[in-house]
Amino acid sequence: MREPAVDSLDVYRQDAGLSHAELWLRYFELGGMSTGSELEAYLYGVRAPSTHDHDVIAHALNERFAELGGNYPVGYSEAVGAN
Amino acid sequence: MLGLNSKAGRVVVQCLLQRGLREDGLRRPSRPLRRTRLVAVSTDGTTSRAGHPPAQPQVVRLWVRPQGVAGGAGRPCENEGHGVRDPSTRFAVTTTFSGTEAVLALFGRAEHADAFILGATLDSAIERRPASMVLDLSALDFIGVAGMVAVANAEKRLMEIGATLTIRSPSELVNRLVGMMDIAHMPRLLDGATATGEHLGTKQKAEIPFGATERAHGNPSADFRRVTAMPSDPDVIDGALGLIVELARISVEGADGVSVSLLRHGRLSTVAASDQTVMDMDADQYASGEGPCVDASVQGRGFHAEALAGESRWPTFTPQALGLGINAILSSPLKAFDQPIGALNIYSRRPLAFGPKDQAAAALFAKKASVILSDAGAGASDTQIAFRYQEALRTRKVITLAMGVLMEREGVDEDAAFSDLLRLSLYHGEPLREQAHAVVRSARQPVLGPEFELDA
Repeated sequence: MREPAVDSLDVYRQDAGLSHAELWLRYFELGGMSTGSELEAYLYGVRAPSTHDHDVIAHALNERFAELGGNYPVGYSEAVGAN
Repeated sequence: MLGLNSKAGRVVVQCLLQRGLREDGLRRPSRPLRRTRLVAVSTDGTTSRAGHPPAQPQVVRLWVRPQGVAGGAGRPCENEGHGVRDPSTRFAVTTTFSGTEAVLALFGRAEHADAFILGATLDSAIERRPASMVLDLSALDFIGVAGMVAVANAEKRLMEIGATLTIRSPSELVNRLVGMMDIAHMPRLLDGATATGEHLGTKQKAEIPFGATERAHGNPSADFRRVTAMPSDPDVIDGALGLIVELARISVEGADGVSVSLLRHGRLSTVAASDQTVMDMDADQYASGEGPCVDASVQGRGFHAEALAGESRWPTFTPQALGLGINAILSSPLKAFDQPIGALNIYSRRPLAFGPKDQAAAALFAKKASVILSDAGAGASDTQIAFRYQEALRTRKVITLAMGVLMEREGVDEDAAFSDLLRLSLYHGEPLREQAHAVVRSARQPVLGPEFELDA
């Protein structure tokens, strides 16, 4: 288990080949409530997402990595306790 | 303090109302300007003709705050020594002219919609042809991507008139955001990119000789971050693709020429190219309907012609390429929403020019270009995009329903219900939506406790 690495979320996004718009749509699809600008702020580490938001973003990214045949590289919060 | 009817005030307001965002290289903000409220445009000192900085310092202030917020220009307050600012202001920019120097001080949060105002204010200041511009970011809390692009565009225009841009005292957070755009890095990029002529134009004709060998020495990942932070305006997208072409040309060892082909209106066309030879090569492939560029664009996978002299896959195109002195081609697919929509093509005069490292770099550049294209909605019709949004809404609804079921069933709150759902997804190794469907289906099954059993 590890702390959410907020400052590296955008690196994951780039590795996943997702545009900001695509990631936001996936985040929204999973129930995310933040705006696109807020999401960008989370990705760049400008603002810290809530634990829930971090987990939604992490899972949106991880599902993309899974689609690409990879594993789930983005860590979740302790609330999920999955890694 | 002068009001909206002052000469300088009119200039700025007209600039805001009339200047199209495309001219600034920015897309129209998702929240139109009318939803914000221009609180005040004020000037201190004298006005001057455009192109002639005033002898006396001149100050122009522009305040914007969300519509519906009470208060007005009559209630300014001191703001930590940074001048007058209405406390309810979301974003403000103050322009001060002192001799040939323009100082723009930004306050608050420069959200996406504010980039319009920021870009117009920067343009307005640049039109006075200052020798130098200082951007004071010490009181700026946040700047969005569009705002950063406005600043980058301003720097480009300042360079064109031989002026300098200095960024003063950005906060740590803003510094990180601006750093991602790599604005300070831009002169080096432009040294290479501007040599290709109008690199922000749609169809480019380069002036760099085909096969020029100069290489940039920088951090490609920083360049990527800058490029991928671009917004979706078509001109900016083509400009970003042009930048990718240039970065690929100077980064991939064997590259003598690079182009980007895109499927537009059912036809392939070259939207960015490093030189005329490459444009001709692409055109030959479109005309003959064969070649690695065409195949990569249609089939969505990479094609590598290591040595054209021994190539048999494209009998019409290969002799034409050889005739133009090309001996190796590496075409990597570009995709938007996972659909092939074009190719990044790298050409070399040398056979066997592209080793594994070059192929990996080409794939990386293609991936970055694909992100830009996806952001732009390239290759996707309005119907397809609408369908994707509908699909997202349906999934979101099912997930919300599943969370409700879990909240009722487990007696937990919303966040805990989502965490439960997430754990289920991870445990089963299935997408969250599948688990949500399963939970909702389970709720449909009648669970009859003793108190609900029907009498026989």
